[in-house]
Amino acid sequence: MSTLLSFARLRKRFGERQLLELGAFEIGEGEAYVITGDNGSGKTTLLRILAGLEPGDIEEFRYRGTPVTQGRLPENARHDMVYVHQHPYLFHTTVVHNVGYGLAARGIARAERRRQVDEAIAWAGVDHLRSLPPSKLSGGEKQRVALARAKVLEPHLFLLDEPTANLDGEARAQVIALIRQLVQDKNSLLIACHDRELIELPGMRRFHLEKGKLISA
Amino acid sequence: MEMLLTIRQAFALLFSGDPELWTTIWISLRVSLIALAIATPVAVTVGYALAQTRFPGRRVLIVLIQGLLSFPTVVVGLVLYILLTRQGPLGSWQLLFTQDAMIIGQAVIAFPVLAAFALAAVQGADPRAHETAVSLGASPLRAALTTLLEVRFAVVAGVFNGFGRVISEVGCAMMVGGNIAGVTRNIPTAIALETSKGDFAQGVALGMVLMLFALGISIALGLLQGRGGLK
Repeated sequence: MSTLLSFARLRKRFGERQLLELGAFEIGEGEAYVITGDNGSGKTTLLRILAGLEPGDIEEFRYRGTPVTQGRLPENARHDMVYVHQHPYLFHTTVVHNVGYGLAARGIARAERRRQVDEAIAWAGVDHLRSLPPSKLSGGEKQRVALARAKVLEPHLFLLDEPTANLDGEARAQVIALIRQLVQDKNSLLIACHDRELIELPGMRRFHLEKGKLISA
Repeated sequence: MEMLLTIRQAFALLFSGDPELWTTIWISLRVSLIALAIATPVAVTVGYALAQTRFPGRRVLIVLIQGLLSFPTVVVGLVLYILLTRQGPLGSWQLLFTQDAMIIGQAVIAFPVLAAFALAAVQGADPRAHETAVSLGASPLRAALTTLLEVRFAVVAGVFNGFGRVISEVGCAMMVGGNIAGVTRNIPTAIALETSKGDFAQGVALGMVLMLFALGISIALGLLQGRGGLK
């Protein structure tokens, strides 16, 4: 297993409160990790720090063995990681535009973009929604579109924040099925969640975040 | 009766194709639209930067822009006049009493309206919009444009409001334009002049055009608010 991302120490403080005080941790290529923990334990913050969306104090932060600076990740690292919000934000356009956004940002030509978007939309089972604006989608549909929007970029690391939170029934099952497939396809994932079914997916490495420390579960 | 007669004369003037009247309307539109075209990109950039970044003096700048919203246009005209007059620091540009001077004045007047609307719009935007764009690999410029597109209705509402402010302002246009017929006479300065001469029909006709613009802006804003999901 080659190491995709690693750090020797990660700390995050909010005022007087030390939220995170993690020791060495590494994410292997093609490995899936799930982080559990109480609400407010810092799961989301950890994902956001790794995604570069929030400042954090990281020592010996490395991406593919190369030292990197948190918040100023090189382009290859930024393009290799995609963070998906607990409540994904979809741009006020269409599903097709949303799924193709990252490809457009990478300068992929329109024809190739269309082909890849079609594939991702089919993968997520949202083909029938392709021309709809986000206001017409349910929570589960938005989550599947967000997963398609992330997968189309073929990232080396998916950072998924509570992907099944507030979903139930069929919507939850569909999202879990997509994540199961990502795990089976040997994508690297770091998932913050409470969902027992996701936690117990085969091949998942489990960690618990408690009092700012990551404990192997 | 006299008022009815004046209104009838005003309508007759409007539909007679009176060249002086339509030149005045054209000058008004031209000056205001060019001023907006110049001020909008700068003001929206400033509004966006003030909303998204933190730096010393940011609060002061925000208060300044909000203060400028109610700044008397005649004072803008006065300052510009002092700068552009032959003895002024920019006198060599020879812009006083030209449409260019009016455009500069109106751009200055529109700037705080446009910047304040952009600032409020971006501050009110869902922070996940920018984060999502960044996470999907957007450059800072693309992420900024994406965020602005997400709040486009509020930004465009600012442009309409800016247009409403500049098309109807008289103080600055009078001071730096000089109200020269066929050159710098626009609708508000023409209304002021014709009324002072006792030619109410011309003033009322131009007033009706201004009200038509105001009505158009109001309808456009209503449509925008509907499309933007605003109530």
